[in-house]
Amino acid sequence: MQHLNEEQLVEHYYHDDAQPSVAEEHLRTCSECRAQYETIRRVLALVTDAPIPERNGTYGEEIWNRLRWKIGRDATRGRRVAWKSMVAAAAVLAIAFFAGQLWHARQTAIAPTTSIVQTVTPSPTTASRDRVLFVVVSDHLEDSERMLQQLANADPSKGLDDSVQQERATELLASNRMYRQTAAKRGDARIASVLADIEPILVELSNAGTTLDADHLAEIQKRIEAKGLLFKVRVLSAQTGSGDRPPTETRGTDL
Amino acid sequence: MTDAAAVEQARGGDPDAFRMLVERHSRVIFRVAWRMTGNEHDADDVVQETFLRAYRQLENFEERANFSTWLHRIAINCSLDLLRARGRHDKHYGGEADATAFETDAPQPDRLALSAELQQHVTAALERLSGNERTAFVMRHFEGMPVEEIGKHLGIQVNAAKHTIFRAVKKLREALQPFVRSTPCST
Repeated sequence: MQHLNEEQLVEHYYHDDAQPSVAEEHLRTCSECRAQYETIRRVLALVTDAPIPERNGTYGEEIWNRLRWKIGRDATRGRRVAWKSMVAAAAVLAIAFFAGQLWHARQTAIAPTTSIVQTVTPSPTTASRDRVLFVVVSDHLEDSERMLQQLANADPSKGLDDSVQQERATELLASNRMYRQTAAKRGDARIASVLADIEPILVELSNAGTTLDADHLAEIQKRIEAKGLLFKVRVLSAQTGSGDRPPTETRGTDL
Repeated sequence: MTDAAAVEQARGGDPDAFRMLVERHSRVIFRVAWRMTGNEHDADDVVQETFLRAYRQLENFEERANFSTWLHRIAINCSLDLLRARGRHDKHYGGEADATAFETDAPQPDRLALSAELQQHVTAALERLSGNERTAFVMRHFEGMPVEEIGKHLGIQVNAAKHTIFRAVKKLREALQPFVRSTPCST
């Protein structure tokens, strides 16, 4: 008769064995294995009954008192995020307004017959729109760069367990979509392209839950590296942050 | 108020509702944390961090889920993070168990209240497990987590997780067998 080894007995104890009925049957008929199984069961019962340091009835209150200020700080941070979102939304509205003004001005100045390609210098209105977009995108790029940097530096063998990172990714994703769409609408392909590259990473982080396993992290790190994403974000961040303006634009203008 | 109702109110920004959850679950979470870390101060830190993470993730909590179970999972993750941060996760807590030292005068306390001395032996046996062995054992034995989930938490394959649990039980058996009465069996 083939006896059960200790590993099989432990598996059986935790119901992790593939065929529990086989082990049951063997234990019913084999006193040697049954004795060994009983020893394991009794040892584990001892461990189960081992006492744990007690915490008194006010423990929950003590924990709450220690937590309270941190939670308060979180709430403040939440308000700050909300405030930033409002600024971003206002910026988008402002851009849309300026765009409308510009479109209206151009419509009224149209000469109905001839159309030529003309080189123009950005108007004061265009420059204002650029400034607004650059300011808000610059902050966003800095935040995104920090997150990408953390991901790139994380140890791929261990994965990542960070709920704060996930929350941040969700916030950044919402802003990213808004800025990308705005940049695309106003024809700023440079900003729109970098933001489009960031977006899939943010989507993955946002959907990853609180834990990013090692394989997933390694895959994301490869994508960041393959696209040269950190470099692109840094370059664009430096350009937008320093107020670097797009070059003189070439537009088709009706005369 | 039920946990689900308190979570709903806490989501709406009511700090007293979250305070109630903290006060209701702190002691149980401390037990999980202590078993995982084997250290009171670390366990206190884990409890605090667990509730902080829970607060930040309240939006992710699914109403159908059990809040206590959800909290236990967060506490396990916090404990693992703390052990990793301290570099204790893959280190042994102590030397090999010396079960023979306790062979004489061994009581027969199965399922009875443990004597103070025996309690120390159990605690010492747990401390002799490596970090991985202890966490895998606690997750399986006390938390009832499936082996697959334990493997994910520890970043190892299912078979490796199973084997880690086995090693832990084997070490505990070797250290504590002298204290349990063996029942004679007959076929």
